[in-house]
Amino acid sequence: MGFDGDSDGGEEDGISSVREVSINGLTMKTAEVEAKLDEGNIQEAESSLREGLSLNYEEARALLGRLEYQRGNVESALRVFDGIDLQTAIQRLQPTFSEKPASRRNRSRTESIHQVSQHAASLVLEAIYLKSMSLQRLNKATEAAQECKSVLDAVEKIFQHGIPDVLVEQKLQETVSKAVEVLPELWKQAGRHQEALASYRRALLSQWNLDEECCVRIQKRFAVFLLYGGVEASPPSLASQIEGSFIPKNNLEEAILLLMILLRKWYLGKTEWDPSVMEHFTFALSLCGETSVLGRHFEEVMPGIYPRCERWYSLALCYSGAGQSRSALNLLRKSLNRHESPNDIMALLLAAKICSEDCLLASEGVEYARRAITNARSVDEHLKCVALRFLGICLGKQAKIALSDHERTRLQAEALRSLDEAIALDRNNPDLIFDLGLEYAEQRNMNAALRCAKEFIDATGGSISKGWRLLALVLSAQQRYSEAEVVTDAALDETAKWEQGPLLRIKAKLKVAQLLPTDAVESYRFLLALVQAQRKAFGSSKNSTKVEDDKVTEFEVWQGLANLYSSLSHWKDAEICLEKARALKPYSAAILHTEGSMYEVRGETKDALAAYSNALSMELDHVPCKVSIGSLLSKIGSKSLPVARSFLSDALRLEPTNQLAWYYLGLVHRNEGRLADAVDCFQAASMLEESDPVESFSSIL
Amino acid sequence: MSSEVVPSESTTFWQSIQRAQATIHSLSLILGPLPEPLTFSENPTISLLHDANISHDISSRLHHPNSGSGDDNLCRWLYDTFQSTDPGLQLVVLNFLPTIIRVYLSRVVSQKSLAGFEAILLAFYAHETVIRGGEPLTVILPNLTNPSVYHEAKVPTKSKAVDLNIAILSPALEPCGTVRSTKRARIIGVALELYYSKIHDMPLTSKQEFCEFCVDWAGHNRSLEEEKQSNPNSDVSCADQQEEMIQVKGGEEEHKKKGRRIPLPWELFQPILRIVGHCLLGNSNSEELKEVALIAVQCLHLRALHDMNPQAILASRSLLRLAKMPSDTIFKPHLVSDSSDLTASQLASND
Repeated sequence: MGFDGDSDGGEEDGISSVREVSINGLTMKTAEVEAKLDEGNIQEAESSLREGLSLNYEEARALLGRLEYQRGNVESALRVFDGIDLQTAIQRLQPTFSEKPASRRNRSRTESIHQVSQHAASLVLEAIYLKSMSLQRLNKATEAAQECKSVLDAVEKIFQHGIPDVLVEQKLQETVSKAVEVLPELWKQAGRHQEALASYRRALLSQWNLDEECCVRIQKRFAVFLLYGGVEASPPSLASQIEGSFIPKNNLEEAILLLMILLRKWYLGKTEWDPSVMEHFTFALSLCGETSVLGRHFEEVMPGIYPRCERWYSLALCYSGAGQSRSALNLLRKSLNRHESPNDIMALLLAAKICSEDCLLASEGVEYARRAITNARSVDEHLKCVALRFLGICLGKQAKIALSDHERTRLQAEALRSLDEAIALDRNNPDLIFDLGLEYAEQRNMNAALRCAKEFIDATGGSISKGWRLLALVLSAQQRYSEAEVVTDAALDETAKWEQGPLLRIKAKLKVAQLLPTDAVESYRFLLALVQAQRKAFGSSKNSTKVEDDKVTEFEVWQGLANLYSSLSHWKDAEICLEKARALKPYSAAILHTEGSMYEVRGETKDALAAYSNALSMELDHVPCKVSIGSLLSKIGSKSLPVARSFLSDALRLEPTNQLAWYYLGLVHRNEGRLADAVDCFQAASMLEESDPVESFSSIL
Repeated sequence: MSSEVVPSESTTFWQSIQRAQATIHSLSLILGPLPEPLTFSENPTISLLHDANISHDISSRLHHPNSGSGDDNLCRWLYDTFQSTDPGLQLVVLNFLPTIIRVYLSRVVSQKSLAGFEAILLAFYAHETVIRGGEPLTVILPNLTNPSVYHEAKVPTKSKAVDLNIAILSPALEPCGTVRSTKRARIIGVALELYYSKIHDMPLTSKQEFCEFCVDWAGHNRSLEEEKQSNPNSDVSCADQQEEMIQVKGGEEEHKKKGRRIPLPWELFQPILRIVGHCLLGNSNSEELKEVALIAVQCLHLRALHDMNPQAILASRSLLRLAKMPSDTIFKPHLVSDSSDLTASQLASND
């Protein structure tokens, strides 16, 4: 007994070959039935089927409908299906199944009963499913979805404990899988997004015994729907969840979870590689700024999927986005190797950008940028100005550590030229104007810097904080302190409380420069309150550093205050501030330097020297200490003058614009009798004094 | 209990109808007489949202050179309508967010008073702040070694706090009374996040306009055009779409009148990408929208390359690549459906 499916009939080509239906061990040609259908005589066709194959009414109709559907007569199929009362058919099927689930031991005895009913169920469910598909083809998506949903409802009624793994007839399982997969798409087509969402979850959370490929398709479509559908989903319900399992609470979380599962299935070899999954995942994780996690997944992708240079570039983007510039640069170096793809413009630009952030890498960056410029042809022509920009910045950075004056001047001139060229290519990019302004400022061409800073603020509508800071510092370098203060105040007005730190620091330093210690203390107090409040608000979460990286640290504030008090000879206050600063950063050259200068002012030369040299052993290139040691030694006596000179020259090598170093070097030259050299040094010092900002320009970035 | 609920529900329904009618009435005082069907519509809010003529009228007024000042009636109307707290009416206002942002950003440099626009933007921002309680929007990145609703894991985790990776999608919000210039991008970004959360209800034209504006904001349409001339098959360009783009822009002259390149920090770039991503890959049936969204993504990707922002490069690059992949549909187009139809041939196995 049972309906024996004949799977290798000639149906695939459909029209040409002779069709047969064989059920209950009986076979009949469909041509006769089809002819009746073509005449529009459904009842006769049905009765001939019932007689020929000894079927009941529903079964005959279901078969007939399928026949019509396969012939492409959707509307007529619908008419046939409409004649069946599917609900009663389902109810008839139900009792057999809703008995207590067969325990594992007596499975074999109940199996035959299950088989029978399953065949019946299969036929009826397929009929509903086909009805739904017919409706879909007639663009009646909502009705189609409702029919399709009723298939799933029926299945749930019939199998109250989920579909068993082994006991299900293949045909039935196929229908169920298709219905499960199609339902959300039908709802989407009908524009009923909440229903679509619910049916996706139903597909994935209930027991449908879906095969892996089908499940993967549904998971992927659901992830896409969550990512781009624009419909906010409420979290999945807690019912039937295993305790302690992760429950996503918003769209993005759910999409990321699904995509991660999909990627893992692929890593485990359970599914085919689908490049779109990785792209969706990249989009989702980049949106939340978690590129380091994304990088890990790029690393996990099996070899052979991405060409290695492409993978290195993607990884470099990930690491650079996560602030791990060094790792990013190392990967780019691999990919820009002579034997890989040395002229890949994207990689060259990223490498140049990373190098432009560090003086010691600047010369390498210059190389990359130059290569990018020569390779920016045709398609990538527009990227030439990006390359020129980073070339300019790198050259400027390189000039800072140049060994000779001659080289420095050359590099500086080249830096300006590159930036000018970049601006000529892309006139609408205010960032270029800022970079140019900063370069002018570093080269102490304050008028030009001022012009650029103003232009930048105008072009950005004052929306970018670093523009304000550049303007204030340039004004301070021109000794126009009160104007600098006006700018700082205006900038403070345009800045929300939490982001005011760097501006308040500038303000405090402006007050110090104007010799207004009480006002300066006041500014520092504001700053301290802000910093401490920030620490309380964000201190616990690790993410705070990622969100705001240009925050002033509490350490800086205490150190600034200590310097201020020590310059006022308020030793006790200075000590207290130093103590606070030391608690935050026990080994700091800056603190020891302040300490040293306090000893020095009090005439305790030995202690001062000890403090300075301790500081130098902590930080080899601490310029202020070198200058201080130089000045101390130059005062001690003629014997130590050569040593003093070497310290000061060393300081100037590191920081050619250090005005104090030039001044003391001038003193040393004078004491040693080299008057011409002394004059040069003093001249340099006096020129620099007129162009010294209250804090270094590099603090802006 | 239920006897109380029913009348109160119906009264709120009537209240909302009345509110909508009052809103429409006050709009008619600004725009002049409105079409009859709108005034007597059964669902005036929806009609107002989808009325193309009124939308056009309002946006052209928003584009007027003197719009956006503190005493601009239309801005006041938009502000009041949004403050009505009626969700439907709020959608009507949000519909114009792309236009407001565009006009506002193109004038913000000119030092004119734009208090009218700013009031609306601040209202959006305040609305979001209240909804979120000022808290950041976070995303927990799951750790697959632990089970989740969608997968099982072998390792039973008992009480052990697993290192969950919490990503911040949108940082905490503090109340803003005025638009401070350094906060401008953030305020607009938050307004766009609000727009995105309602994007499903937004009319097609609003999304389309938004994508067109993105092209201006990114400021790289020129390089895109040049690229097309030099190499139609490059990674970024896509020849067919660019034809469209030139049509969309309708000449360089008009382009100049339109928007200008604006600074696009991540706080602005990120919500823009989400919106454009929806337009490109969401379940929209409009090919037009998809085309204009693709151009927007191309321009945004170029901009990301120029700004050298790794996150922006990665995200926009993925959108571009996805747009080029064949779309995943379960249903074949209706025209081809005959005996060779996929579903039919799969099913034809049992006769």
